[in-house]
Amino acid sequence: MSQNKIHPDQKYIDGLAANDSVVIEMIYKKFAPKAVLFITNNSGDKDQAQDVIQEVLILLFNQAKANKLQLTCPFDAYFFLLCKRRWLNELKKSSNKGVTIYENVVSINESAHELIAQAEEFDEKQKLFDSMFQKLGEKCQEVLKLSFTLKSMEEVAEKLNVTYGYVRKKKSLCVGQLTEWIQEAKNFNSLKNN
Amino acid sequence: MNEERYILFDQYLQGELTVDEKNNFEKQLSEDPTLASAFESFKEMHFQLDNKFGKEAEREIFTENLTRISDKYFNKKKTKVVSLKPWYFAAAASVTIMFGLFFFDYNHYPNFEDYNHPESAYFTERSVSEETLKKAENDFNGKRYEKAIPLFESILKENNSPEIKYFYGVSLLQVSKYVKAETIFKELESGNSVFKEKAKWNLALSKLKQGKYKECKEILQTISQDYEDYDEVEHLLEELE
Repeated sequence: MSQNKIHPDQKYIDGLAANDSVVIEMIYKKFAPKAVLFITNNSGDKDQAQDVIQEVLILLFNQAKANKLQLTCPFDAYFFLLCKRRWLNELKKSSNKGVTIYENVVSINESAHELIAQAEEFDEKQKLFDSMFQKLGEKCQEVLKLSFTLKSMEEVAEKLNVTYGYVRKKKSLCVGQLTEWIQEAKNFNSLKNN
Repeated sequence: MNEERYILFDQYLQGELTVDEKNNFEKQLSEDPTLASAFESFKEMHFQLDNKFGKEAEREIFTENLTRISDKYFNKKKTKVVSLKPWYFAAAASVTIMFGLFFFDYNHYPNFEDYNHPESAYFTERSVSEETLKKAENDFNGKRYEKAIPLFESILKENNSPEIKYFYGVSLLQVSKYVKAETIFKELESGNSVFKEKAKWNLALSKLKQGKYKECKEILQTISQDYEDYDEVEHLLEELE
């Protein structure tokens, strides 16, 4: 990846990460119409298009914040494909009837495909994580939330009115629990895929 | 659950192990793939937690801002296609006509200012001095074109990029330095950068600002329909008819 040259459109990603309104408005103005057109031409309405675009931009924000997004293809192609694939997934989920897709063939390069795969993997991992986090007990959720919001474990202990030793141990074990679940899920997936 | 293992992982990540313990742990990792894989997952969970909670406040602010911009964008679009009831339309039209009769100056030509919306600059070039670039960007976005122009000129000596040239040209047009501005736009027009169509549009605006309506129209007709603001082109063409 790193040998690929970063595309000048990285400015859009950096702008999203910086929550720069000028850039976000520019993204809507320049790139939203194509995605809206695709969705409304394929059994969707404007509101659905608005949601899909918003979800994709939040995904890009998350990815950019995690420093995991270096654009090596034009933003246009990347953004459109993400919206398109997300919408097709929505359609698959919500209907059993056959779906006819009307579209122009968009030629895109290898690096766009690669980036799309990365974004979707990032998204899936995050969703898997979220669902596992919800499975944790209340106490675990609370300790973890505070551990990763407050600056020090001393503050966490104080806030919860317990000892430092207790929160440290609790935190390790709760992350341990998540670790075990995630490993089970990974093993399950690799079984399924083989 | 292997409690000791996770407590050890955490201590290692917090940098709390002694040198010996640390070396020992790293040796184990290199020898035991199961342990290494568990440690990888443990680190990934740390990453996810940090991503979820550490950035929660920022994410909320972003989502709020995004929703506002998104609503603004989609509402704006909606009003365009909203179906007016015919009688409202008739009423609105007659009011417009009456006003028109009173105030119409009968020498109606399109106005440069109506079409003049320079976009904000947002430079990411890395090869030139960051400071000058930032200053130029700020001056440009703050509409201090007279100040931005010499900055762009000095940047262009180092880096002759189409993006910088484009914003330099727009600045020149804003302060009515037509000859220089048009030279820049013509250079961009003959190139192959993303600013090609935009350069044509600005060239047309320059003619408009000088009152050269016929030349303006001729240039507009050469703009590709794929140009992102083609609706403005069409609009101006209609006004010029």
